[in-house]
Amino acid sequence: MNLPERPGAFSPQEPDRPNPLPRPDGEFEALEKAWKAPRGLSFITAVNNTYVGLWYVATAFLFFILAGILALIMRAQLAAPESDLVGHDLYNQLFTMHGTVMMFLFAVPAVEAASVYLLPNMQAARDLPFPRLSAYAFWAYFVGGLVFFGTIFFGLSPDGGWFMYPPLTGSKYSPAENADWWLLGIGFIEISAIAGAIEIIVGVMKTRAVGMSLDKLPVYSWAMLVFAVMIVIGFPAIILGTLLLEMERAFDWPFFIAERGGDPLLWQHLFWFFGHPEVYIIFLPATGMVSMIVPAMAQTPLVGYRLVVLALIATGFLSFGLWVHHMFATGLPKMSLSFFSAASTAVAVPSGIQVFAWIATIASGRMKLTTPSLFVIGFLFIFTLGGLTGVMVAMAPFDWQAHDSYFVVAHLHYVLIGGMVFPLFAAFYYWVPVASKRALSERLGRWVFGLMFLGVNVTFLPMHVTGLIGMPRRVYTYPVGMGWDALNLVSTVGAFMIAAGVAVFLVDLARNFRFAGEDNAGNVWNAGTLEWLPNGNYATRSIPAVVSRDPLWDQPNLPKDVEDGRYYLPGTATGGREALVTSPFDATPQYILQIPGPGWQPVLAALFTAAFFLLLTVKLVMLSVVCGVLAVGCVIWWLWETDPGPVRPPAHIGGGIVVPVYVTGPMNHSWWAMIVLMVVYGMVFTCLIFSYLFLWLVNPGAWPPRGVDLPERLWPVASAMLYLASAALIAMASRILRGDDRRSPRSVPILIAAALLLVSGASATDLWAQWRTGLSPSTHAYGAAVYAIVSLQIFFVLTTLVMGLYTIARWLAGRLDSIRRTTFDNTMLFWSYTVGQGLVGLAVVHGFPRLIGGL
Amino acid sequence: MTRRRTGQVALMLAGLLAWAVQFTVIYGATSTLCGLDRADATLLGTGAVQAVILITTFAAFLAAAAALSWSLRTQRRMSGQAAPADRFMTQAGALIGGLSLIAILWQGLPALILPACA
Amino acid sequence: MDLEATRQGPAGRLRTATARAALGASALALMGCDGIQSALDPAGGDALRIYRLALVMTAGGCLIFLLVTGLLLYAIFAAPERRAWLGSRRTVVIGGLAFPIVVLSGLLPYGLIVMRDTDMPRPGALPVEVIGEQYWWRVTYPADQERAAFATANELVVPVGRPVTVSVTAADVIHSFWIPNFGGKIDMIPGRVNRLTFTAERPGIYRGVCAEFCGDQHARMAFDVVALEPDAFADWRDGQAKPAREPDLPDLARGRALFRAGGCGSCHEVRGTEADGAFGPDLTHVGSRRTIGAGQFPNNVGTLAGWIANTQHIKPGVRMPSYGSFTGEDLRALAGYLESLK
Repeated sequence: MNLPERPGAFSPQEPDRPNPLPRPDGEFEALEKAWKAPRGLSFITAVNNTYVGLWYVATAFLFFILAGILALIMRAQLAAPESDLVGHDLYNQLFTMHGTVMMFLFAVPAVEAASVYLLPNMQAARDLPFPRLSAYAFWAYFVGGLVFFGTIFFGLSPDGGWFMYPPLTGSKYSPAENADWWLLGIGFIEISAIAGAIEIIVGVMKTRAVGMSLDKLPVYSWAMLVFAVMIVIGFPAIILGTLLLEMERAFDWPFFIAERGGDPLLWQHLFWFFGHPEVYIIFLPATGMVSMIVPAMAQTPLVGYRLVVLALIATGFLSFGLWVHHMFATGLPKMSLSFFSAASTAVAVPSGIQVFAWIATIASGRMKLTTPSLFVIGFLFIFTLGGLTGVMVAMAPFDWQAHDSYFVVAHLHYVLIGGMVFPLFAAFYYWVPVASKRALSERLGRWVFGLMFLGVNVTFLPMHVTGLIGMPRRVYTYPVGMGWDALNLVSTVGAFMIAAGVAVFLVDLARNFRFAGEDNAGNVWNAGTLEWLPNGNYATRSIPAVVSRDPLWDQPNLPKDVEDGRYYLPGTATGGREALVTSPFDATPQYILQIPGPGWQPVLAALFTAAFFLLLTVKLVMLSVVCGVLAVGCVIWWLWETDPGPVRPPAHIGGGIVVPVYVTGPMNHSWWAMIVLMVVYGMVFTCLIFSYLFLWLVNPGAWPPRGVDLPERLWPVASAMLYLASAALIAMASRILRGDDRRSPRSVPILIAAALLLVSGASATDLWAQWRTGLSPSTHAYGAAVYAIVSLQIFFVLTTLVMGLYTIARWLAGRLDSIRRTTFDNTMLFWSYTVGQGLVGLAVVHGFPRLIGGL
Repeated sequence: MTRRRTGQVALMLAGLLAWAVQFTVIYGATSTLCGLDRADATLLGTGAVQAVILITTFAAFLAAAAALSWSLRTQRRMSGQAAPADRFMTQAGALIGGLSLIAILWQGLPALILPACA
Repeated sequence: MDLEATRQGPAGRLRTATARAALGASALALMGCDGIQSALDPAGGDALRIYRLALVMTAGGCLIFLLVTGLLLYAIFAAPERRAWLGSRRTVVIGGLAFPIVVLSGLLPYGLIVMRDTDMPRPGALPVEVIGEQYWWRVTYPADQERAAFATANELVVPVGRPVTVSVTAADVIHSFWIPNFGGKIDMIPGRVNRLTFTAERPGIYRGVCAEFCGDQHARMAFDVVALEPDAFADWRDGQAKPAREPDLPDLARGRALFRAGGCGSCHEVRGTEADGAFGPDLTHVGSRRTIGAGQFPNNVGTLAGWIANTQHIKPGVRMPSYGSFTGEDLRALAGYLESLK
């Protein structure tokens, strides 16, 4: 393995500038050329985080406005009882879309988008480690999201609530395609969110300023790290849930149909195991933003940094113990409910820590009352109130009254608008000077804040009462004389005040936002973090070494030195785009990562992926399959250019540090991404196993149901042997492919091909074993669960097949040898995962029923 | 990531990991026992559900306390030369361990108050 | 209001009880009384316990909110030397860590105790079965020593002072059963039977609603809840257990003939007649109910006739089609017959 030649030579306390002046001629020009954005039509192929990040933020904001308009229509309908403005049909689509679009197309993408823009800048990285992946995630979201939203104009929008509870959303009670739009549309937007999360994890861990060790990481980076890990753990549950529900709708596999052994509650568990962490997934990045803005506005470092990091991590954990508090009224045993009550209580503590850390920071400095400050203050006000009602609904008995009433509507809007929208607006006003030639207007900003702050309270404060005096949620109208009329009218007035605030914001944007490549407005707030360094398309001219959490305050010459190229890697070593990869804990330089530049591949791959899902929704199966194949083709085309190998010998980046331009193994960024991806797969599979066990508990004594025989033991044993044999062959190929002599032995592709046959045989054997017992996937939930496990495994084997063939193709093209073997390593990692999942699947499907022995 | 680093991260998160294991075990056991209609089962002279919760809580509490004391001891032993990241992770581990103790206790509290499966 | 319905009913005591409860009702609306569907006006021990918990938490929450915002404003506006004490890590540890832990360590056990004592199974409780259907409630009172079982719809009548255990499930999609004045809600889930126990402690008329989104007409799925003194309740139950009464006027007899000819009996049951449909609500004593359409309209000849003729217009998406082909005269007769089924 290639290691930095002088790993011990680097010390983060080193105050010397690693590179001397003057810089050689042409160095800067080469850097600029490598990072130049494409022009003309191919501008959309740009992958720079600053471009993609901005498009991403803009698109997310567009969905905020669109979903907000849906809310205004709803509020207009509810302004008076028995109103006829919109019918039940449209109203039910409106509230479903409002929730879905706000959660999936605005909130999560918005915070992810902001981090695509901000993270690299804040960590002084040239770009995220997988810029094309960000571009792919963005375009898939952009196309898919707009088409999904467009269904509202055709009456095709889902109308079963953003939570999509079956049986209402099953094919019996929702035979039309509306529900499929939700399942497929949202399913694939989640894939885009996961792609972003992987990018963020690797970005935070591997591409930082030199010396930015864990204790100096900006709080925002910590927040995004926790955010991304939560997505990786939480989103697979909803992906599996949508898969199961779509299989039930399409093939009649009764996962959620009670008459055939299914259970509607299974969906609720899967949905809320994602759905509750989702709230914190939205909230944590926003708190990360606040923790950046408050110190800048108060001109003093954050008080209690370690406690704030503790709060972020603790929230990340505890938020996975809350999901049943959305199911307090489902009749589960009180003991079970109480665990979630306790965890919901515990999660209030970290929020308290953060709130007091900000108050202490404000007290220790001198808070300037700028627009970002106002939004932060508004956030603290609104969020504290929402947090306190959150503790109220954490008490199950109170929730039995409040649940699904307008009290909860009030609570969730307080925490989400307070906890996410206000910080986001603070962030807009705070960070626009990084992206624009002019800052936004302070005068208009005050109007935006005033209208929104009043509006939110006028809208949602009365709803607490409306709910407790009996008004349930999700009603398109309500009777006269219940005492709800006046309160609802007030809420409607408030909603339009919020809208007015957002409108003023749009005016401000139109008047003052001017995109800036290199001549941005500069460090207008005198902030201390690296995103305020002078930058261009290439980000910062050189990669700074930092010695504190607020480097711009503690290293006064930093901006100038960085811009002059006196820090690390002031040019390009390979002539192309590069990022400096640093070690995850101490942030010492490890290697130079060659980053792919603009290209049509991610755009086309995203378009075809979107087309695949959207066409599948409208049941154009053939066309959809064609698009799916094209999407895979584009991804392969895109991958083909990656894994470039050591194109040049290790390079000097300054300060006597020499790092390689290519590494393999656990230091490699794509190895990290693969590991994270395997965690995602592992979570999908875990949720599936959970579903299997859950359905057993619904059918005790009938698992398998009467008349169903398990395959003889011989079958799973044979299948397991085949899996193990294939893994052994791959391990052998890996051993052969070792050595510093750039060997590419012929036995490697042969071993891979043989292993492919074995692994395919393994899953085919298992499928056949089930099939020949006559087990049907649609007569009982048992069969559905078994075939779900088998099908998921087949999907993984097929993916292994594609990856294996791709690896063989790399060998044939001479792009795979004992040094340049990242492609092989990734395939091998995936292979071990597939084999592992296959073995666990066999153990559960064949072993568990025998183990419980008819229990 | 080296083995040392993996261990460090695990220790830093040990308290919350103990909480997560506790949560999974007590929720899984309660759901299974109640789902199989074993509300009346007893263990060690008390209801099986309560017994499992209390034992798990005790074990998780011990684990988190051990992680906390380990972090505190390491923190004291650490010289001025220690890398800032190492120092940070030890300190964070202590805080996480402390907070986890509370979360774990709260998590076990229902066993003292509520009936098993009603 | 439809007080007539109860005045002419078979039970003397029923009259006084219902009339008393209905006195406060405003004539403006269908039932028109703030508080008949309110968690803030508890009419039973369980609701009261939750109400107290809510009061405690609201008061505590307000205090904490004032404290936090007060500190925030102090941190912003107080003179730097005066606010300096606030600007340290100690603030975070005390305010953000210690304070919430102390407060919540008190609140959590209190909440758990309320949870234990609320919705407790109680011996001698009156069993009632309620099935949620799109978009109405099938209510069944099982047989007891003296009376046969009977079904009714969109109406729950309970005795004051005796615990009631409602067993709920759903026939189609998930619904949720919620009577705010008596306690929390419980979901009605296909394939599962959930139980909710509460005790009414104040006679009166209340209202329950469906609290889980269940489709097109979720908004119009409510039911009446009447809490009666025990004797009045026994009388009511006797009356409901009886078969439908025979029409005693020619016009009503004509209504019954229309009911038969119109095929109403294939979906609706009227005990004591050949109408034995099980698909829709039992109509044996439909005339005795306060409202129709699942708590939507006062029950009288006019609304009944309007309902039959325009079901899909009034409550689009329900299973019952509109029967617009009846002549006005026929409609009146049919509605009159139904209204006479006290």
